[in-house]
Amino acid sequence: MAAPGRHVGHYIQRNSRVLLNNFEQLLSHRNFGWTSALRQQAAEANKEPTDTIVIPRKKTWSKEAVLEALSSTVGRDPTAYPYNFQDDPFLSPRTVNEFKLYSLSKESGRSAAKFFINNNPKYFTTDFAEPHIPCLMPEMVSLLLEDVSEEALKERVRLRKVTAAVEMYDQLLQSGTAVSMETTYDLLDLICLYCDRDPVEEGGPQSEDMEEPGEEVRQGRGRPRRASDFMKFSWKENNNAERIFNLLPERDTRCYSALIRGMVKHGAHAKAFSIYTDLLNNRLTADVHIFNALLIAAPDLRDKYNERWDLLAELLNQMSQQKVQPNLSTFNSVLKALRRCGSLAKTQAIHTLNEMKAMGIAPSLASYDHILNAFSKAASSSGAVNTDILQEVMSELEGRSFTCQDPDDVLFFSTAMRICVNNKDLELGYRVYNLVEHGENWRLLGPLYQQSSFYRRFFNLLCMMEHIDVVLTWYRKLVPSLYYPNPQGLKDLLQALDTDSRLDLLPTIWKDICALGHDNKADLVEELLMLMARDKHSAEVQEAFAVCALDIKNMSEADRRKNPLEWSTTSLSNITSLQLRANKTQEAWETLKLFKSKNRVPKEPLLEDFLSVCCSDGSSQRAMELVQLSAAFCLSATPKLAKRTLAELDLTEEQRAVLSELESTGESSG
Amino acid sequence: MYRFLFRTVYTARKSSVRIYEACVLPAKCDKAAVFRFANGGGVKALSTCSVRLCEKKDNVASSIEEEKTLAEKPVDPTETPTLVTQKAEDDSKVIQREEEPVVLKTEDEGTTQQQVDEKPVDPTETPTLVTQKAEDDSKVIQRQEEPVVLKTEDEGTTQQQVDVKTEQVEATPAEVKTVAAKSGKDSLLDILGGMKVAVTSKRKLRNLKAWQSEDSTSDSKPAAMESTISMFQKATEEASSQSETLDPQLVAAASAAASTLPESSQATSELLRQLRQQQTVTEAQKKGDMNILGDIIADMKVGKNPDRRQSTRPANQIQFDDDGPGYTHVKQINTEPYNPRKKKVYISGKRLNIFPRTTDKDGVESAVARPTLWDIVLANDLSLSTEQTHRNGLEEMIQWTKEGRMWQYPINNEAGLEEEASVPFHEHIFLEEHLQEGFPRQGPVRHFMELVVAGLSKNPYLAVQQKRDHISWFRDYFHQKEDVLKEAEVYLN
Repeated sequence: MAAPGRHVGHYIQRNSRVLLNNFEQLLSHRNFGWTSALRQQAAEANKEPTDTIVIPRKKTWSKEAVLEALSSTVGRDPTAYPYNFQDDPFLSPRTVNEFKLYSLSKESGRSAAKFFINNNPKYFTTDFAEPHIPCLMPEMVSLLLEDVSEEALKERVRLRKVTAAVEMYDQLLQSGTAVSMETTYDLLDLICLYCDRDPVEEGGPQSEDMEEPGEEVRQGRGRPRRASDFMKFSWKENNNAERIFNLLPERDTRCYSALIRGMVKHGAHAKAFSIYTDLLNNRLTADVHIFNALLIAAPDLRDKYNERWDLLAELLNQMSQQKVQPNLSTFNSVLKALRRCGSLAKTQAIHTLNEMKAMGIAPSLASYDHILNAFSKAASSSGAVNTDILQEVMSELEGRSFTCQDPDDVLFFSTAMRICVNNKDLELGYRVYNLVEHGENWRLLGPLYQQSSFYRRFFNLLCMMEHIDVVLTWYRKLVPSLYYPNPQGLKDLLQALDTDSRLDLLPTIWKDICALGHDNKADLVEELLMLMARDKHSAEVQEAFAVCALDIKNMSEADRRKNPLEWSTTSLSNITSLQLRANKTQEAWETLKLFKSKNRVPKEPLLEDFLSVCCSDGSSQRAMELVQLSAAFCLSATPKLAKRTLAELDLTEEQRAVLSELESTGESSG
Repeated sequence: MYRFLFRTVYTARKSSVRIYEACVLPAKCDKAAVFRFANGGGVKALSTCSVRLCEKKDNVASSIEEEKTLAEKPVDPTETPTLVTQKAEDDSKVIQREEEPVVLKTEDEGTTQQQVDEKPVDPTETPTLVTQKAEDDSKVIQRQEEPVVLKTEDEGTTQQQVDVKTEQVEATPAEVKTVAAKSGKDSLLDILGGMKVAVTSKRKLRNLKAWQSEDSTSDSKPAAMESTISMFQKATEEASSQSETLDPQLVAAASAAASTLPESSQATSELLRQLRQQQTVTEAQKKGDMNILGDIIADMKVGKNPDRRQSTRPANQIQFDDDGPGYTHVKQINTEPYNPRKKKVYISGKRLNIFPRTTDKDGVESAVARPTLWDIVLANDLSLSTEQTHRNGLEEMIQWTKEGRMWQYPINNEAGLEEEASVPFHEHIFLEEHLQEGFPRQGPVRHFMELVVAGLSKNPYLAVQQKRDHISWFRDYFHQKEDVLKEAEVYLN
C-alpha cells in the first residue's frame, strides 16, 4: 500500500508540477489575453469618439450612367468626320454648307416620317416592342372632342391650335358657359405666345403651311431655331388676345402678364408699357415675368442713353417696391438692355452684376456675354483695346461647368473668342478654349453658326500668334472633325506657313484644300501658287511642288464646267516656272500653250527662264518654238531671246534663218 | 558726460537692406555738437535719403533734412529684422519707417535730442571713436558696438536702449574678429566685384545662415549689406529681449559694461581691434559706396509691400492704401512687375442697391405652380440651343435611352425588375400563408403542397402573382378532385 501510495504521491507531485506549470502558463496566457483584450478595449474606447462610422449615402445613378461613363472615355474622334456622317462616307461633308445641308436633310427626313406617322395613326397601331416604347407610337395631334365644352377648349389649347381654341372659346361664351380661370390663363398664354396665329407644326411639310390661310410659307425649313420664326409676326391692334382680355370680367396679374409678355415678344413695346400702366391703375402688382418683359422692351421707348438707363432703374425700383423677387432672366434682361445704353453700359453692367451676386443669383454665361459686349463696344468706340474684363470673367469662370439657363448663353464663347482675336491674346484664347473643353461646356457652343465662328476665330488666332508646328497640331485636331475652314482660314494658314518658312508643307495643304472643296477659289489657289513659286527650294520640294502645280492645272481643266476658275497670268506663269524648276519641260510647254488659249500674255522673265532650261537641255527645237511663241505674242523680248538662242544652241540652217529674221524684225520694230 | 551712439541705418537696393551701422559719437551734451557730428556722420545718409525722401517730402527744408539724417539713424531695429526676414524686398517699407522718425523729428527735436543723450556707450571705445572721428573728417564711421545697441522706436515716443550683455561681450570677441574678417572680406569682394549686381536671395540666405550659426550676440560689423542682414537677424533675436530690458538701469549697466567684465582689459583690446578693423572696412566700403551711390538710387525700387499690414503703419502714409482707387498712381509706381490681373478690378465693388438682400424665397411659390406654356417653350428653346450633334455612338445611345428607345444598361442588380420593384422579398419567399385556405391541414395533399411552396419560394423567375396563381390552380384542382380524394380516404377539409 505504501509503495503505490508513494508512487501515487510521486505522480501527484510530478503531475502537480506539470499542472502547476501548465496553470502558470495558462494563467500567464490568460493574463496576457486579458491584458491584450483590455488594451483592445481601451484602444476601442479611445477610438470610439474619434471615428464614428459614416454610412455613405446611397448613390443613385441615372439610367444613362453607364453610357455616360463609357462616352467620357471615348470623346470625340479628331481624325474623323463628325459622328453623324460616319455611317455613309459619301455623305462626308466637306464644307460648312454641306454639313448644314446633310444634317438638315437627315433631320427633315426624320421629321417627315414623324409627321406622317402622327397624321396617320391608324396605320401604325402594331406595337412590336416588348416592353412597350411610347415614343415610337404615333402622337395624338388631331382633335378628338368635337362638342362645345371646356374640355374641348383645353384639348385645343394643349394641342396648340390657336384659331380653333379661339373659336371654341367664343362658342362657349355665346352658349353662356363659364370658362374656368385656369383655362382662360392657358388660352391667353397660347394666343399671346403665338401672336394669335397657329404655330408652325413640328415636322409639318410645307404643303400644309400653304393650306392654312394667312400662314406665310416657311423658308429655311428645319432651321435650328424655330422659335425665331415667331418673331416675324407682329402684334396687331385688337387681336384675339386683346379682345378676350377685354371681355374678361375680372383681370388679374396673370392675365396682364400673358398680354404684356406677348406684346413684348412680338414687338409692341409701347403698348406693353401702356398695359402696364393700366395694371398699376387697377391697383394690381406685377409679377416677375412682366418686369422681365418690360426690361427687354425698355430701350425701345427712350432715345437717349441715360433716359434708357433711368427707365431700367425705375422699373427695377418698382420691382423692389412691389416686393417682386428678381430672377436670372431679370438681370439678363437688364444687361441685355444695357448693351443699348452706350457709354453707361460699362459701369452699370458691373453694378448690375454685383447686384445679381448680392441677391444670390449666379450669373449665367449670357450675363457675361452681355457684359463683354458692353465693354467691347465701349472699347471699340474709344479705340482702346482691352482684355481686362475678359481676363476677370475668365478667372471667375475657369474650371466650372455650365448648363444652359438662358437662350443667350450660347453666344458667350463666340464673343469671348472674338475679343481674344481682336486683341491677339493667345493665352486668353487658350483659356477660353479650355473652358469650352471642360466638362460638357462644349454643348453651349450653340448652333452651327456660332460653333463654326468660334472655331474659326480660334484658328485664326492660332495662325496669327502661334508657332507653325503648334498650329498644324491644332489644325489636325480641329479640321475637319470640328471645323471646316473657309478660304480665309486657309489663307491664314498659308500665311502662317510662310511666316515660319515651312512652305514644303504646301502640297499637303493643297490636298486638304481639295478635300475641303476650296480648290475652285481663285484667290486661294493663286496665293498657294504664288507661295510655291516665290522661292527656290530643294529638288525634292520642287518635285512635290511641280506635282501639286500639275494637279492644280489638271483639276481646273478637268471640271471647268463645274467651277470656272479664271486663270490669271501670274498663276499660269507660276505653274510654268514650278514645272520648269522640276525639269518637267514637256508639262511646262503644255502650260505655256495655255497662255494663248486663255488670252494671257506670258511675262518675259518666264520665257527667259524657259529658254535657259532649253539651252541646258540642248533642245533646239523647243527653243525655236519658244521664240516663235514669243513672237506670236509680239513680245519686245523676242529679239533678245532669238539672239540668245542663236548664240547658245546648235541650230540647223533653216532654224538659224528663221531666228535671225525674228531677231532683226524685233530690232527694227523695237 | 553723455555719450551717445548713432546708428545709421540705410536702406538701399531693392533686395537688400544695408545698414551703415552705428558710429559711436562721443560728444558733449550740446545740441550743436550733436548736429555737427550728425552732419558729419550723416553726409552720405543725407544724400541718399534726401533723394529718396524727396519723392514724398519735397517741401521739407534742407535743414530738416539734416535732422532727417540724424533721425534716420535711429531706425528701429526691431522693425528692420522683419524686413530682412521678408527678404528685404520692400524698400518702401523701410522708407516708410525712415520717415517715421523724420516726422517725429520735425515735430519734436528735443525728444530726439534727449534720446540721443540717453545713449550710453562703452567707455572703452570712446577714444578710438574720437580718433577715428578726427581722422575721418566727417565721414560715417561704421561700426558695431559690441554691447549691442538697439533702438526701438514706437509711434509716439522714440526710445533708444542699449542692451548690454556682459557675458556676451566676453564670449564674443574672438568670434567677432573672425566673423568680421570673413564678412568684411566677403562683402568687400562682393561690393567691389559687382556693385550693380543685386544680391541674390540665395546669397542672402547663405549669409543669413552663416550668421545665424554664429553667436547671435557677437555683433557684426556692417561692412557689407550681407553682414547687415545678419545684424538684423541678430537684432531680431535681441529685439524680443530688448523690450523688457529697456530702462535706465540697463543704460547705466551698459556704460559700465567693459569694466564689469572679468577680463576687461582683454575685452577692451579686442573691441579696439575690432573697431580698427571696422574702420578700414568702413573706408573701403565708403569708397565703394560713393561709387555705387548712383547705382543704389538707380536700382532703388519702391515696391508695394504686400505684408504691409504686419508692420505698424504710420498715419501719414495714406498713399499706401491698397484699396483706394484714388491712389493708383502711387501703386503704379510701386508695382514692380506689370500684373494685369491686379491692375483693375472690375467685377467687384459697388452694386445697384435696388433690391433688399433678402433670404426668404418669395419667388419659390410661383415656381411651384404648374409650368405655363411660356415655361415649356423656354425649356424647349434651351434644349434646342444646347442640342449638339453626337460625338460618338455612345452619346447617340444615351439619347436613345433618354427617349426610351433603347434597353437600359444595368446600373444595379435590380435591372429589369421594374414590376417587382415594389414587391417585398417576403412575399416571394414565405408562401405558406397561401396554404391556409382550401388545403388540408395534414395529409399527403398538404405534404405535396408544402413541397410545391418550397419549390416556388426558391424560384426567382416567377412574379409573385404567378406564384399565387400556381398555388390557386392546385387549390382548384384538389377541390375538383374532392370526390376522388374522399374515396381514397385522403382527408380534405
